[in-house]
Amino acid sequence: MENGGSPKEWRFGGNKGLTHASAVTVRGVINKLMEKLNADDTRPVIPLAQGDPSAFPSFRTTTFAEDAVCAAVRSANFNGYSSTVGIPSGRRAVAEYLSKDLPYKLSADDVFLTIGCTQALETVITVLARPGANILLPRPGFPYYEARAGFSGLEFRHFDLLPEKDWEVDLAGVEALSDENTVAMVIINPGNPCGNVFKYQHLKKVAETAKKLGILVISDEVYDHLTFGSSPFVPMGVFGSIVPVITLGSISKRWVVPGWRLGWLVTNDPDGILMKQGIVDSIKGYVDITSDPVTFMQGALAQILEDTPSDFFEGIVSLLKECAETCYERTSEIPCLTCPCKPEGSMFAMVKLNLSLLEGIEDDLDFCCKLAKEESVLILPGFAVGLKNWLRLTFAIEPSSLDDGFQRINAFSKRHAKKQ
Amino acid sequence: MDCGRRVQEMEAPNNITIKGMLGLLSDAADEGGKKLISLGIGDPTAYSCFYTCSAAQQPLLNALNSRNFNGYSPTVGLPQTRMAVADYLSRGLPYTLHSNDVYVTNGCTQAIEITLSILARPGANILLPRPGFPIYGLCAAFRHLEARYFDLLPEKQWEVDLRAVQHLADHNTVAIVIINPGNPCGNVYSFQHLKEIAETAKRLGIVVIADEVYGHLSFGENPWVSMGVFGSVGPVITLGSLSKRWLVPGWRLGWLVINDPDATLKTPKAAVPAIIEGTQEVFFRKTINILKQTSDICYQKIKGIACIKCPCKPQGSMAFMVKLNVCMLKDISDDIDFCFKLAKEESVIILPGIVVGLKNWLRITFAVEPSALHEALRRLNSFCQRHSC
Repeated sequence: MENGGSPKEWRFGGNKGLTHASAVTVRGVINKLMEKLNADDTRPVIPLAQGDPSAFPSFRTTTFAEDAVCAAVRSANFNGYSSTVGIPSGRRAVAEYLSKDLPYKLSADDVFLTIGCTQALETVITVLARPGANILLPRPGFPYYEARAGFSGLEFRHFDLLPEKDWEVDLAGVEALSDENTVAMVIINPGNPCGNVFKYQHLKKVAETAKKLGILVISDEVYDHLTFGSSPFVPMGVFGSIVPVITLGSISKRWVVPGWRLGWLVTNDPDGILMKQGIVDSIKGYVDITSDPVTFMQGALAQILEDTPSDFFEGIVSLLKECAETCYERTSEIPCLTCPCKPEGSMFAMVKLNLSLLEGIEDDLDFCCKLAKEESVLILPGFAVGLKNWLRLTFAIEPSSLDDGFQRINAFSKRHAKKQ
Repeated sequence: MDCGRRVQEMEAPNNITIKGMLGLLSDAADEGGKKLISLGIGDPTAYSCFYTCSAAQQPLLNALNSRNFNGYSPTVGLPQTRMAVADYLSRGLPYTLHSNDVYVTNGCTQAIEITLSILARPGANILLPRPGFPIYGLCAAFRHLEARYFDLLPEKQWEVDLRAVQHLADHNTVAIVIINPGNPCGNVYSFQHLKEIAETAKRLGIVVIADEVYGHLSFGENPWVSMGVFGSVGPVITLGSLSKRWLVPGWRLGWLVINDPDATLKTPKAAVPAIIEGTQEVFFRKTINILKQTSDICYQKIKGIACIKCPCKPQGSMAFMVKLNVCMLKDISDDIDFCFKLAKEESVIILPGIVVGLKNWLRITFAVEPSALHEALRRLNSFCQRHSC
């Protein structure tokens, strides 16, 4: 085949915005740590960095969910395209499921089925982005919000979560940050990365503050119902008549199936404000031009949400509780680590690193890189979630591995302790 | 009015998708009494003759039951899946793809989204075929990537008007999209024409985006050739999926592949590897035979309808374009009016051509079970007779 000489120049190039957006993501940082792992270390790697316990036998999902999906596949009723907002039975099932904890009934039309909570997040960020607008994000938080907002040209501003107040939202800070171009604030409850669960009263204050500022609340509830402390889970939608709420969720965490990619974006808006402001039309427009979750997953959703026996949920929650306790106690035995708030929910805890008690460790990234290299333990450095010199620990792993992990962290800390 | 004049050129409306339009037509049809037959969407799964094979279903069930695939995958796709797709596509290429060239996506739709996202930058433009697949125009607009349309020529088997392409391109053009086998036209390009496209793209310094979602679904004279065959002429990005060849658009498994042999290359059973390896030729042959049969039925029946003309017999994919002669019909103003009245009076759904970029044409899908197709075409004929001048 003849090759007639190259053009003077190739006219296409990469999109720098994308390369920039993906620079700080959880998986990006974890990949970097994994490069440090010592190939000669025969011990198993202890993964305390990513929130995905699906590979561990104790966290296996329920056969009810698996059977529901197999039945959907075998029926051959779900091999075709779904409607872009989701199939009716799936939407209805999510509406009923979420309405159980709300003082009003959601309708199927309030529900949009998405490819995991990730696509729900992408959708809401994209819909809200317009030139000059800004969104308020928690710090520490989930870096994917920053990545998507940045990519969509939506300015983001950070409000603090206060460790001395169980990681509550600094509401005075929220008011100070907001201006006439602020469109929304994001809360993650139960909290990633902090492991906190917001109290009813606090959520009410968040709603009232948002209403005062004229902004909507995006409530990321991907860890919904995964609580094991004193505060019960309260969905933000409960306050939907104070302020419009958009709830993001999925089956990924509660059913331990993040690979199934089935989530939702729900409008909690009994007063119809989101509709009037054009938000609902924009959501529909976006889902019309983007891809959809697997149809047979949608087909199985009603059965998954309705028929999963409660003892499966209880089992997972009590396992998480046990792991959280271990994490908290073992951390308190290590002088250079401080966990200010015992985790009450989700799969994570934020732990402060006391560098003054260590020698030869520069910062959180350095700590985690050396820990990976010397002990084959992966922990996420806090800068990835917005708090430098903290660490985000996942406790949702096999309990025996968690024990092993803490032994190695302990050994590492002793080895690097500053000589008195 | 000069009805012999060539098709009116119009930009596709930039706010309607195929599913959107078909939804509106279905609503209109609900008022009628007959059983609804849709010749509207490239999704044949409603008909049992188009059911996927057990060679696809079983690996999927095995993967589910193995419980090894409940977690997050790497963002680029599982290694075994990338490898399987690389091997599969390499069979039709003069070089071997590496698994690193393959990105697993949520259907071909997501492959389109990603491709346009990476090429978009301020001031850039992309060349799209008309008629074409509206998602390209919608995604481009959404990413502030200017869309410029070149014609496909009905008098030349829907080939690309390469002179127009050269005329449209400038220093800000980044890519050209080719859909082969063609949606909506049902064409399959010859080796020679694909080569000409590759050479034109190279001269212009642009990448070819080859949408091969209907890959291998050809039943006419031209054998189907993948654009990647010309990967050493200039870089090609190939988009594809399991959706059409395996008849499972709802499974959302597609790929974006970089065909760029001059820059690269020399490297637990997930479902996709087993699906690709295990599916027998006899299943593929069966699908193609049905499509050939149904496309023939369509072509022959349309010949008997005075106000509709088919310039090119379909050669592949699942749809083809026919021209509507509005002058021969009383009280029908255009293609949209035709389709809405057809939906209402006969409960038959056909897509008005304006949605894919050609006003007063129609896109008819023939991936429909033969008896339903016969019935639909009978009703179409009856409708046209009733409305003829």
